[in-house]
Amino acid sequence: MRFTPTELTASELALQTEVRQFLKTELAPGTHEPCLGMAARKDKPFSMKMAERGWVGMALPKAWGGSDRTAVDRFIVVEEMLRWGAPVGHHWVADRQTGSVILKFGTDEQRKRFLPAICRGELGFSIGMSEPDSGSDLASVSTRAERATGGWLINGTKIWTSGAHENDWFVCLLRTSSMEDGNKHAGLSQLLIDLQSDGLEISPIPFLDGSHHFNEVTFNDVFVPDENVVGDVGMGWHQNTTEMAYERGGPDRWLSPFSTIEQLLREAKGTPLEQAVQDLFGELVARYWGIRNLSLSVARLIDSGEAPSIESSLVKEMGTRFEQEVIEKLVQLIELEYSPDSHSLFERMLSQCIVTFPGNTIRGGTIEILRSVAAKGLQGLPV
Amino acid sequence: MTELIVDELITQTANRLFSEICGHEAIQNAETVGEAPEIWAAYSETGFPWISIDENLGGSGGTLLDALEVLRLVGYYSVPVPAAETGILGGWLLSEAGLQVPEGIVTVLPDLGPDLTIKVDGSQVSIAGSATRVPWARSAEVIAILFQDDGNNYVASVNASDCVITPMTNMAGEPRDSVRFDGVVCSYAKVSESIDAQSFRLRGALSRVALMAGAIEKMSQLTVSYTNDRVQFGRPVARFQAVQQHLVWAAQDAALSRMAAESAGIEATRGKGDFEIASAKLIANQAASRATKACHQAHGAMGMTQEYPLHHYSRRLWSWRKEYGGDAEWSKWIGRLAVAQGADGLYPLITGGSRVL
Repeated sequence: MRFTPTELTASELALQTEVRQFLKTELAPGTHEPCLGMAARKDKPFSMKMAERGWVGMALPKAWGGSDRTAVDRFIVVEEMLRWGAPVGHHWVADRQTGSVILKFGTDEQRKRFLPAICRGELGFSIGMSEPDSGSDLASVSTRAERATGGWLINGTKIWTSGAHENDWFVCLLRTSSMEDGNKHAGLSQLLIDLQSDGLEISPIPFLDGSHHFNEVTFNDVFVPDENVVGDVGMGWHQNTTEMAYERGGPDRWLSPFSTIEQLLREAKGTPLEQAVQDLFGELVARYWGIRNLSLSVARLIDSGEAPSIESSLVKEMGTRFEQEVIEKLVQLIELEYSPDSHSLFERMLSQCIVTFPGNTIRGGTIEILRSVAAKGLQGLPV
Repeated sequence: MTELIVDELITQTANRLFSEICGHEAIQNAETVGEAPEIWAAYSETGFPWISIDENLGGSGGTLLDALEVLRLVGYYSVPVPAAETGILGGWLLSEAGLQVPEGIVTVLPDLGPDLTIKVDGSQVSIAGSATRVPWARSAEVIAILFQDDGNNYVASVNASDCVITPMTNMAGEPRDSVRFDGVVCSYAKVSESIDAQSFRLRGALSRVALMAGAIEKMSQLTVSYTNDRVQFGRPVARFQAVQQHLVWAAQDAALSRMAAESAGIEATRGKGDFEIASAKLIANQAASRATKACHQAHGAMGMTQEYPLHHYSRRLWSWRKEYGGDAEWSKWIGRLAVAQGADGLYPLITGGSRVL
């Protein structure tokens, strides 16, 4: 394990300036309600505007509609978007992972069909991993895909599916053959499923505050043609693990509270709170600087062709805990009874952080699972 | 921008030398005796103490980043020598003033005590009063003192033998002596206005950050290896999730503080890294606190004994955390700077650091 300091090149700094300028124009401060990190609103027109700049699916090859940019370039765009609280919800999953998975494991037909549309910001994807009896023990998934003429018939249930009610496609980890003795990782495959398919039913699982992000997706003999199998049948676990490596360690794992912090600074200016904010911000800014350097170095490692799975697990575990720590410090600082309908934007955002951030150390792999992955890596054991 | 990297030969040589001369017993012995002349002899023979100092003034050349890499490894191996004081602190002050850097140990006064008076008198200064917490004064040939007079900054070069030195230690048993100056007369020279109390304190903090990053990394590795060897309930304790948490947290703090130290080192070598140094010291201070806790917990009672080496690192970290600025000092410093950027300038400060200031 080695995190090497890295710096942005002149062209990377130019990209950073361009993104900041874009955000200033498109979402001038005071004219939009900032989102909290990757749990951002879906705003397809905004996603398509980003796509016009080449900032959606930007690391994908030009031949498939991408921009042939690097993981570091994508890091720069993503960190600016999240820091600003931009509504990146529509393209988020496709941009972060689905595009890469289709590029890496998909067929040319699939690449042609999906990648250019992803890069235009058109398609929204959901991810089908968890099930009622499979959470952290993901390899125990039991939703079945059985052979049928020209394709597969799917039966079972996926849960905690973010955005299934608004998205177009569903990348699902399914059991295509029964669990082998002692090897539950075998027999899993990844399938691309149209969320409008016959027999597919989407019902909301209301979030703790009543809002609608999560869904339960049930399959009753849903037919999926052969051409929608991603990669090799039976290789789903391996592909899924690769996919998770893209998912971990990026700015989405530590920037969620940043728009709230900025707003606090705006609102505290000239008030009796300013001194306390100043005392707190020293620590926050130092930690942010340090964590960003680690996270950026992971992106650089990906660009040099490495698969930094230990490094990215360490950063994600640390980053998501840090997000919660930041909010706790704000809570300790503010002697107000904030609420979701407060007249103060900062108070509304803080309320939302408090209610939603317990999920940050759960989504995309709980920190307990990440620790186990990282600890094995530290001991030189297979992950 | 040209990429700054450490000369690989330095890392190799330091690793080889320190692993030979700095075993558990050698470090323990240095603590008991109060100094380690034979370790200093082997260390100084390589020229390590004077990396980044002008060759014409007795230095070894090389960059500040190279010198910091040696310090990182001094921290990693707990090498019981005044590496920072002789090199990037004392040696730096003397050479910046155009004064000859001696062949022996140099130290500095981390703080000018309240009763210390330095009177300029023609080509000499006269120093009276006392200073505390002076690293390795007992072994030093020269004490380099940065002081201000009439708006100018100067460095005085004091012969340590002209002072009255009372041996004292920090929590790790490292020499932190009290020094009394009874009207000591010595030579001095002017330094540029950029070398003032603030820049000296930052440089001191940078030296501690490098040492701390090395010590935290070593401590983290020691803990992984101990928990793999230690069997309880029929398996290595590292297999237990509760123990894995300590391993992961210590490894994170090792990575975080090393990243901070190296990033700050790069900016400082370029000549402008105040924000990075301040942030790195605060990060290292807090990482030291968390990591020592995690590593001690994972070691159980064994880590609480003198016979097992964990304490070389943990006690040094507890001491270094307080040298050249504790948590409160640097968080206030950074907080003032951050809030002055305004809400819109906050993230650009995090991404751009000293370069946007």
